[in-house]
Amino acid sequence: MTLSPNPDRPRVDARQKVLGEALFAADQRVENLLHAMTVPASIAKGRIRAIDASAALKVPGVVRVMTFEDFADIQITPASRGAYGQPGKGYQPMTGPDIVHRGEPVALVLAETLEAAIEGAESVSVEYHEAAEFTALMEQGGAEEAPEVFTRLGHGDAEGAFASAAHKVDVTYRHPQQHHNPIELISTTALFSEGKLRIFEGTQWSSALAGGLAGMIGRDPQSVRASSPYVGGGFGQKNGIQEQSALVARAATIMARPVKLVMPRGQLFHTASYRPRSLHHVRLAADAGGKLAAGLYRTEQQNSRYDGYNPLFGETPPRMYGYPNWAGEDRVIRVDTQTPGHQRAPHEHPSSYATECALDELAHDLGMDPVELRLANDTDKDPITGKPYSSRHLAACLQRGARMIDWGRRRREPGRLRAENGDMIGLGVACGSYKAAMSPAITTLRLQANGACRISLSGHEMGQGLRSVIAAELIDVLGVDPAKLDIRVGDTGFAPQMLTAGSWGTASVAPAARAAALKLRANLVELTGRDDFEGPAYLQLARTRRPMLKVEIDTIPLGENPQAIDDLRKGRPVAAGPEYTDFLAFSWIAHFAEVHVEPSTGRARVRRFASVIDCGRVMNRRTTESQVKGGVVWAVGAALREIGETDPRYGRVLNNDLAEYLVPVNADIDWIDVDVIDEPDTRLNISGVKGAGEVAMVGATAAIANAVFNATGKRIRHLPIRIEDLL
Amino acid sequence: MRAFSYSRPRSPEAAVAAFTDAGEGARYIAGGTTLFDLMKLNVEQPAHLVDVSQLDGSDLIETSGDKLRFGAGARMADIADDETINREYPLLAESLWRAASQQLRNMASVGGNLLQRTRCPYFRNGAGGVYPCNKREPGAGCAAIEGLDRGQAILGTSGACTAVSPGDWPVALTALDADIVVLGPQGNRTIPIAEFYLLPQDTPDREFSLAPGELIIEIRVPKTAAGRASTYHKVRDRESYAFALASAAVALRIEGGQVQKAHIALGGIATKPWRSEAAEAVLRGKAPTRENALAAGRAAIADARAGRHNGFKIDLATNTIADAITIAAERSAS
Repeated sequence: MTLSPNPDRPRVDARQKVLGEALFAADQRVENLLHAMTVPASIAKGRIRAIDASAALKVPGVVRVMTFEDFADIQITPASRGAYGQPGKGYQPMTGPDIVHRGEPVALVLAETLEAAIEGAESVSVEYHEAAEFTALMEQGGAEEAPEVFTRLGHGDAEGAFASAAHKVDVTYRHPQQHHNPIELISTTALFSEGKLRIFEGTQWSSALAGGLAGMIGRDPQSVRASSPYVGGGFGQKNGIQEQSALVARAATIMARPVKLVMPRGQLFHTASYRPRSLHHVRLAADAGGKLAAGLYRTEQQNSRYDGYNPLFGETPPRMYGYPNWAGEDRVIRVDTQTPGHQRAPHEHPSSYATECALDELAHDLGMDPVELRLANDTDKDPITGKPYSSRHLAACLQRGARMIDWGRRRREPGRLRAENGDMIGLGVACGSYKAAMSPAITTLRLQANGACRISLSGHEMGQGLRSVIAAELIDVLGVDPAKLDIRVGDTGFAPQMLTAGSWGTASVAPAARAAALKLRANLVELTGRDDFEGPAYLQLARTRRPMLKVEIDTIPLGENPQAIDDLRKGRPVAAGPEYTDFLAFSWIAHFAEVHVEPSTGRARVRRFASVIDCGRVMNRRTTESQVKGGVVWAVGAALREIGETDPRYGRVLNNDLAEYLVPVNADIDWIDVDVIDEPDTRLNISGVKGAGEVAMVGATAAIANAVFNATGKRIRHLPIRIEDLL
Repeated sequence: MRAFSYSRPRSPEAAVAAFTDAGEGARYIAGGTTLFDLMKLNVEQPAHLVDVSQLDGSDLIETSGDKLRFGAGARMADIADDETINREYPLLAESLWRAASQQLRNMASVGGNLLQRTRCPYFRNGAGGVYPCNKREPGAGCAAIEGLDRGQAILGTSGACTAVSPGDWPVALTALDADIVVLGPQGNRTIPIAEFYLLPQDTPDREFSLAPGELIIEIRVPKTAAGRASTYHKVRDRESYAFALASAAVALRIEGGQVQKAHIALGGIATKPWRSEAAEAVLRGKAPTRENALAAGRAAIADARAGRHNGFKIDLATNTIADAITIAAERSAS
């Protein structure tokens, strides 16, 4: 079957979601439940001297107060914290008396009601030994540079080319700490069901959660089932085992009762992952005609003392344009904090912010239109490896986006465009890319002669529309009625579950569903003895007088061997990309921002935004546009609003709630116009899909910062850009 | 959050009696939008709550007499939507609908709003002994003064406290010389709003001139023709659902192109709703030109003292006042 554009379709689960029928992990109704609440450490580093739980135990309803003594048998394994077990083994709080970061749990109160658990937790008194000195921020004394440079990427003689170039910029950009703040808080519910320990947790990787927890609490992996029915904002914060996961699981086994913990938002700022502070030194050079001559890019990223969340800032910027010379290196700075982690476009957002702003500075210095500069340096092959790209429509994205935002009215000199009310108008452009990765998947597809269809496969529905993507392929190949479709994902009881992250969800499940559907179709053709058929497949099945037809299929990404399926079953990371045997694969995007700045107050508002995305074949226009709009909204937040503010004297995030950690509200967002290239990338997979969720945000913040410059003439090289920067 | 007892009387007198009977640790509660929040943060730990949200007649909104009268239990949303208030006193309506969110305004009472406590993060976030705060724990010290003070006050501060008074509505009422009618164990009294809020000085834990057990029952605002030419102008870190970085309530009476009477009060930059007679004096008898408006703004913050990260509030407040004067003057013309 040839690939055709997908028609407009609502999400398959839109109705359930609107009605609140889609149950998230913490929504499950559980009998005989114990509610848990954590007591956070009030110091940033040190050692517990004593814990007095007597007052807590007097709170009516409190059943037990657990401390590190109850959890000393939890094993710290590579799975203990996230996917960041390199070079250390991670860290599991409450396995000993030492405190290594602010806010980590030091006691777990179990009670018959949530209210009693909260009151009990507030009544626990913890005494510490003399507090140890600590370092909260990478700029402070005591911050420790990891001896090894993590990544070093380059080709040609970048230093030499930079030194002799006609035009150059040499600038440093700073990115703040940011927190995901998903609406679905992080939670764990542990209960016993059908002889297994069942864990409900909103996670992006239920197989690793089940397998990892089994190892940590000494159970047979087959006896643990992890269920992540819906994830209400993953964006990388739910990639791995959370700080409370093993505590809750172990508490349930100790108490022989179901236990549930929903981590309060205020604590999440200190117990969950976040986007770390980073520093970006960018040097770019071009000849007088705007041909790029060299790029040099050096970064530093804050990290914890004990984990290895890798700084991968340098991987995408050299792939954006045809740099003849490039040198990049990424370093880690260790401080006393919990381990940071992936947050939407984890490194690509900060690195695109720094490098695409620097490119705007270069364009201004050259006197060249920044769209023209980008078009003049377009490339169809990766400058680092020399391999071609599987597909790249970035020039089309730029040209289409420029028309959408009416780019022709932009003036090179800042501050020349004015709104009727006197606001300064600026237009900015920036581009982004994100690797097109894929994961293996294991799929079981069952079609009944009455039209009912059930598919179980690897993947998690995180609001990105994974179920709708799966449905689209089954509708396309088998003519399935979405109302009769049962899609089972996100649960190790259904299929081994891949980490659903890195924008590879759609590029993994669409080919898996399509391959399963094509196999079932082929089986049907064989059974009916016809060449092929039109219309719904179940009618053909009915003709065979069989009640049901079932196929199973393993899909393995391009260039991977069948070992990948075994790794998937064991909960190991297995995604492939962006480098494949014959090419590199990326999704691409161009963003255009129109920003208005009020001269008297410095208030900056993003009044219009246009984004054009090349993500391969679009599986669902609505969810794709929604992804891009969400990425743009997040980018507005990153550009103008978001910052986790840590007082270095205390080592705590001061603005640890949604009132003070500012994300955009409706009034901050005006018009966001999204268009899609919708060209299948069939070199990559049979569905022609690349990926949209992460690239959506890449470069969008830079477009806003560049528009702020075009409005005001001010280059603000830190985020967020706030009133005091523009006043 | 701790267990507490609760009662819901129907009359102000019964409420005061219930409060007095409950003794130490009693609190009045109306919409709960501040108190519940602080209870969850363990900053407030009341033993008894007297719910005054359903007192008979407390939702009064009366605009026909010689004063505007608002029952303490009237909802922010209801006054924000009142047609007469929007037409005759836009600064009052704007101070309400530019505050919080629609959901919060539906719950919050205008009496309770007067008692909203500061958003200083060291105050709100310090339960559990992390951040010292003189307001929470007198004598403990102030973490904000040498800390992340971007949001702190530049007017009315002391060596003990720089916490900003967070309200919008109290700023508008301050501009219009409102009176606060309270009922206490000793009976009724009326407190001019200028005397209602206390400067932190050495006792930042004392924020209001209310005696124990006193209950706000009504807010009265003298009517003024300046109400029509008025605005509450609020500048914040996002376009909605945020507290003011700087705000200005301005009402003008302009005759023959000259300001005869100006009412100017400031929010977001001071430790209490800040009336600026100095700014009013600068405008008196002058045309509301940009130059004069900026001069008034500068006069208002002449005594400002900035900390480490909040120096921008000096220029921001100056310009915010000037912008508010311009908006108010345009309304006079129309």
